Amino acid sequence: MSATLFAGSALAVRGDLAEAHQRAWKAIAAPGTWLTGERRVAAAAEIRRARSCAHCVLIKAALSPNGVKGVHQTLGVLGEAEVELIHRVVGDPGRLSESWAQSVLARGLSDGEYVEIVGLVAMVMMLDTCTRALGLPEQPLPAPQAGEPTRYRPAGARKQAAWLPLVEPQDATEADGPMYPSPKAGYIYRGLSMVPQSMRDYWALANCHYMPGQYVYQFDKSIRAITRPQTEILAARVSAMHQCVY
Amino acid sequence: MLRESMQIEGKQMDVRGVTQGFNEHIEVPHADVLVEFAEAVVLQDAARTARASKNMRAVLGDEGFVDAAAIVSAFHGFVRIADAIGIPYTSAAQGQDLPELREQVGINEFYRVKGA
Repeated sequence: MSATLFAGSALAVRGDLAEAHQRAWKAIAAPGTWLTGERRVAAAAEIRRARSCAHCVLIKAALSPNGVKGVHQTLGVLGEAEVELIHRVVGDPGRLSESWAQSVLARGLSDGEYVEIVGLVAMVMMLDTCTRALGLPEQPLPAPQAGEPTRYRPAGARKQAAWLPLVEPQDATEADGPMYPSPKAGYIYRGLSMVPQSMRDYWALANCHYMPGQYVYQFDKSIRAITRPQTEILAARVSAMHQCVY
Repeated sequence: MLRESMQIEGKQMDVRGVTQGFNEHIEVPHADVLVEFAEAVVLQDAARTARASKNMRAVLGDEGFVDAAAIVSAFHGFVRIADAIGIPYTSAAQGQDLPELREQVGINEFYRVKGA
């Protein structure tokens, strides 16, 4: 089950991982739920821009992220709220707060747009980090696909446990499409549930990188070429460096 | 997850290593190489990543290296969803992360917890 992830690379990778990357880029270029394909690809470009933003470096280095004056270095395509959301989630995710999230929404971004953009950040960061970690060149961004967003809002979306609305497993409806592999799906799984298509796109990629949900709590088993403790050392160290409490 | 996966193999670990660095006694093969690789990737240090990758391929083989890169990158996505959506941190590990474990690991020193 081997394939080559990128043209010109001699490094063989799992076929499902290579396919997941191809599917993910295609999904990013397609019209989403609240954003057009053009805006989604523009968000992907801004995500890459954020990684070298000097203002983000200052924010990251500051004792408090809230006291830093200045503006983000942006490509200039997206609005102020989108840029702030993308740059902060890329550059300093461990120091976000509910009041900050509300301030982004107050600048004119809808909660659906917010969640869809967070899903894009998570996907692009995963894709680009993977190619960089493998020593491969960054993939060119895809051409956006024409079409209108679906503007689908799940009837069961409610702001309760998190800063943004979630669809709890018991509130998911048939109209939402496939949502949860299990009614016990953890909160990390529910994070993007307000935008079901973003949730599906994200997990189709993430499951190939880490492991599908049914294996997560089977600690005596590894479906990867490294052991489960080796897997979890990597996971724990990366999460700790991001100051992620989960 | 790390603690559980170690315990099921009958091994012990000092969970403080997650935040403070693992010592040479940790009973996970090539833990030092894995941690070095993870840190290099997070810090976006190309030269350090290249060195760490060479060591990874030497000890884990190409398949192990690819899977390690995939896992490290997966957690660049998970953390952003958790932190940007603000899912409740007390729900981590399906609510099984005990307060004393969070204290021991050093998670209570993280910005999100201290600011809560």
